[in-house]
Amino acid sequence: MRDLIDLWVGAQAWLFETLVSPILFKYGLMAWYEPGYSAVEFVMLGVVQIAVIAIGMRFFERRWPLEKAGEDDKLIMVDRVYTMLNKLGVIPLAIFILTYPLVQEIELTVRTWGYMPPRLERLLPWIGDNALVSFLVYFVLYDFAAYWLHRGQHAFGWWWALHSLHHSQRRMTVWTDDRNHVIDDLIITLALVLFSQFVGVQPGEYVVILMVGRLIESWSHANVDMSFGWLGERLLVSPRFHRLHHALSTPTERHIQDHNFAPVFPIWDILFGTAIYDEKIRPTGVDDATVDADNGRGWIAQQATVFGRFVRALLPRFSRRASAQ
Amino acid sequence: MNRLSFAALALSLVVGGTARADSVIILNSEEASYSILSRSTRTEVARLPVGREPHHLILSPDGKEVLIGSTATNELLSLDVKTGERKRVIKDILDPYHLGFSPDGKWFVTAAYRLDHVDIYHADGFKLAGRIFIDGLPSHIAFDAESKTVFVTLQQSGRLAAFDLATQALKWNVPVGNAPAGVVMLPDNKRLLVALTGEDNIVVVDPKDGAVKSSLQTGKGAHNFFPKGDGRHYFLSNRVEGTVSLIDTKDEPKVVGSVRIPGGPDCMDITPDGRELWVTQRFLRRVAIVDIDIMKLVGSIPVGKSPHGVFMMKSTANVTAGAPVRAASTAGEIK
Repeated sequence: MRDLIDLWVGAQAWLFETLVSPILFKYGLMAWYEPGYSAVEFVMLGVVQIAVIAIGMRFFERRWPLEKAGEDDKLIMVDRVYTMLNKLGVIPLAIFILTYPLVQEIELTVRTWGYMPPRLERLLPWIGDNALVSFLVYFVLYDFAAYWLHRGQHAFGWWWALHSLHHSQRRMTVWTDDRNHVIDDLIITLALVLFSQFVGVQPGEYVVILMVGRLIESWSHANVDMSFGWLGERLLVSPRFHRLHHALSTPTERHIQDHNFAPVFPIWDILFGTAIYDEKIRPTGVDDATVDADNGRGWIAQQATVFGRFVRALLPRFSRRASAQ
Repeated sequence: MNRLSFAALALSLVVGGTARADSVIILNSEEASYSILSRSTRTEVARLPVGREPHHLILSPDGKEVLIGSTATNELLSLDVKTGERKRVIKDILDPYHLGFSPDGKWFVTAAYRLDHVDIYHADGFKLAGRIFIDGLPSHIAFDAESKTVFVTLQQSGRLAAFDLATQALKWNVPVGNAPAGVVMLPDNKRLLVALTGEDNIVVVDPKDGAVKSSLQTGKGAHNFFPKGDGRHYFLSNRVEGTVSLIDTKDEPKVVGSVRIPGGPDCMDITPDGRELWVTQRFLRRVAIVDIDIMKLVGSIPVGKSPHGVFMMKSTANVTAGAPVRAASTAGEIK
């Protein structure tokens, strides 16, 4: 195990000292020295995730596909672009640069007021005694927050305008998880970072939680015909469970997408009455021609189009004027 | 079993009674833990949880406790210097990144790196005397021998600031170079050395007014000091270059030795016999051991993620109440 760690940190140190450190040093950015080193690890973890998806998860999709290969396969390409941009840190870096000052300002302001966030270890000291328990507790809390954020994405018109991009994919695969508008990514990231700070997630833990969580979420989008069994389907979100959330609504199932919101643990849907389980195979997508038109567009066109949708949802007056033209 | 008793049990079981003075504490800043290493076997004997984002640690003025600054939980965690057992938690110390006691033991000062303030406490009871908000990432601190002034590097703004301890008033705040970090007062009490992490050199600063008197090229990313213990020589870690320099400060400072330490060398401490320098390698998750006589890397011990502060548990004979104290992992005994 130690050899593996040495190999990993050796590669990380080499990449950092060869590619990143000279730039930070040359341009007087040494305050970003430690974050820069962490960013290299983030990218390396992204490469690992891409490998797991491309080799491991794709094996299952090829071997046991739910939807057979067909005309719509070309729609998957743009989702691969999303995955690369996210996993290799391009979008997360932009979001980090944008949100870091705000997160700092919020923390500084809160502390200046003399308010101390109720760190979880203060309430439950035993949590800090076991790294695995600590990780699991924070993972569950993180997922709980992500569940409610996801419900928010479906509840508010302006947020749905952004999130509908994620749902518009008619050919859902392991690459679909990262298909999101950058503003949606920014809102979710900011909310989860603040939540994590509030409950006391350690930066190192946050990266692991993010990686494990996102891998499970990638898998939950997989185009595979596979069940986790009765109990398994209630312990961990499966592709079958999450596919119901992406199901195309019909006159008889108008609100089917308002179910199975949980990113990792279905318990939230069970507790809050939003869980559904059945074996029926349904097509995915959104029953709205405007949203469905996202299919076939490239990354830039999708981002621009969805931004327009977002503005119109946010400013109805602008929407009416736009409609009149 | 709580963490206090677990720490004590781990130490007593693994380290063994007579070997406790043989231990070294390493703070793994990114995994909220500290490692206990054995000097004699050069192995990690225990890894225990501690707060959140611990960076620096320091001996208390009475020599009985080691105080660990847990930055994200705003508290100090105290370990018994003899047994390693946890003694107490001192709460409401905001973002205690770098920390130090004045030489007379009356003042305790912290640099809140992320929150941009310097806090001056009465060491007795840790009652806040003054909080000074100052822009630019307050990074490391040092004191004058009279315990009247504390000096703080401001890493982001490239400045060095001096504060009067009794009144908490700013005495001066001057530019010294790119990304100043480690700062140390020399035994003559007339020269401050400041390491410039954004450059490849250190500067000599007049503590009276902050005037930069001279500079000395050392290595890229000059970062942190540690005294050799002879009142004359100081070790300096150069993080970007990956070296540790040995600096002779007798007259005009000059580099008299260097050793390659890969992986972003940072904080240092010396074994009680003065033969080995232990250096945290932030990026490699290791602690390097340097043979001081020949200035050669002779070992490296795996620890946790992003190891930062290092502290040698010395025999109590070396630690007496009222003895001069130091800022965390930076300035050694003022002789």
